[in-house]
Amino acid sequence: MNRPAVAEIALRTLAVSGAALLLAVALGVPAGLALGRRRFPGRGLLVATVNTGMGLPPVVVGLAIALLLWRSGPLGRLGWMYTQKAMVLAQVVIALPLVIGITLASVAALADDWHLQVRALGVRGARASWLLVREIRAGLLAAVIAALGGILSEVGAVMMVGGNLEGETRVLTTGILMYTEMGRFEEALALAAVLLGLTFVLAAALTAVQQGRS
Amino acid sequence: MSEAAALVARDLEVGYRGGFALRVPALELRRGEVLAVLGPNGSGKSTLLQALAGLLAPRAGSLAVAAGGRVSLVFQRPVLLRGRVAWNAELPLWGRGVGRLERRRRAAAALARLGIAALAERDAATLSGGEARRLALARAFAAEPDVLLLDEPFDDLDAAGREQLWFDLRRAIGETRIAVALVTHELRQALLLADRIAVLRPGVLAQVGPRDEVLRRPMSQEIAEQVGMANLLPGAVGARDSDSGLVQLALRDGGALRVESSLERGAEVIAGIRPENVKIDDEGGDPGLVGPGVVCELVSDGAIVTAWIEWEGQRLRSHLLAGRGLGHGLKPGDRVRVAIRPEDVHVMPRAR
Repeated sequence: MNRPAVAEIALRTLAVSGAALLLAVALGVPAGLALGRRRFPGRGLLVATVNTGMGLPPVVVGLAIALLLWRSGPLGRLGWMYTQKAMVLAQVVIALPLVIGITLASVAALADDWHLQVRALGVRGARASWLLVREIRAGLLAAVIAALGGILSEVGAVMMVGGNLEGETRVLTTGILMYTEMGRFEEALALAAVLLGLTFVLAAALTAVQQGRS
Repeated sequence: MSEAAALVARDLEVGYRGGFALRVPALELRRGEVLAVLGPNGSGKSTLLQALAGLLAPRAGSLAVAAGGRVSLVFQRPVLLRGRVAWNAELPLWGRGVGRLERRRRAAAALARLGIAALAERDAATLSGGEARRLALARAFAAEPDVLLLDEPFDDLDAAGREQLWFDLRRAIGETRIAVALVTHELRQALLLADRIAVLRPGVLAQVGPRDEVLRRPMSQEIAEQVGMANLLPGAVGARDSDSGLVQLALRDGGALRVESSLERGAEVIAGIRPENVKIDDEGGDPGLVGPGVVCELVSDGAIVTAWIEWEGQRLRSHLLAGRGLGHGLKPGDRVRVAIRPEDVHVMPRAR
């Protein structure tokens, strides 16, 4: 395998996982803040669902999404099966509970009186939300790091819904799996080294932000 | 609403859903005045403050704050936000969109008012308990409130810290002319700043009035106990002396007192006497002289001697000044002459 092929797979991995991470954070953080702040009927069930989701086996997610996207399935008409969109969807489903759950736990770890105190200071609306994000930013970064780890290392679901098509849906993890099965360990090792390097650089960058600002 | 009133509550009922409720028939906070709300733990003090601060919708009744009036609430345990001390003090101003320079100026003034200007650049998380308390108070003053609500402001402080905070708060309140309500479970803390006192009984604000009136004229035996009227003697109203207008009060457990009362002969009453009004007479000229007694026990805190004096089968609690005062040199077993002035005996109808 040549260098351009490795670079192409690495870039595709970044694009797919980056999109999934952005979506999971954009949806998960507000949901986690709301679940942490508000009390409403059914909240306990939602929190239990999120906690279950944090330990969801990726192959089960893959199976569920494959059933949804299959040509005869409920969302079959979208034609997403074996596309990068399907892979992003699977990774969002895997990462979302992690983001919601860790955000929720960060809000819950605040002093009981925190929200009341902010209200008592006359801070409402968007400013209050900004204060909350500022207060729990270390926890939010932990959520992002956990989601990134879950997404980058995941192989089962993206294999099932992406199909590991060369030039289209092959990413680092599915490539490693394929080359290992074929006995082409040199290529598998090359992709594994890139994956490890990528994970390390991203996690280190986020950690630097976390340590520097908290 | 009168000129002096900053907040007025009428027939207010506060509480959490499904929980207990506190009823407040009438309560007024006036500018430049401190109201101390006295109540045991669990009597709804913090709930009342939250309702007055507008954080908890009242279940019933009316709550009016003077036009444009701002209400600041300081919690029992200070909740500081991540960041510098100065940022914490700026928060209420930031919350209503005050510009950065103006915010800094006013926050600095508030920190100086509470004597912590030197801490402005410190990380709020590194403050001691006493410093955090002062920052929470400075933050409340920075909001430039018309009404300031304080939840147990002197709790957890040592005697020196309490005194210093009392001094700073007294000055800050005097300078800003804001209306202040503080709640506390301890009478001594209530007395530190209070111009007026409100007493909570389970479920209801039972009495509110000027400090000395509540201390000297509690409306019931329960309130009397809460405001430190330690001698509560059951008795019955007897004959009226036509010269002095005083009535004879026969005490159930022995002895008699002459008191001021308009109650009819035969009425069952409680005679309440504050410990500082149970005197011992060493000159023989006290008009309140009620007879001989024996000192049973003595406890001194250095300033005040608390003496239990047996008189006519009753054990009276007396607070006497130590040092050169009447408490000086007193020993258990000493024979003394007990003096209680008729005007110092507060007669309450006895609860059935």
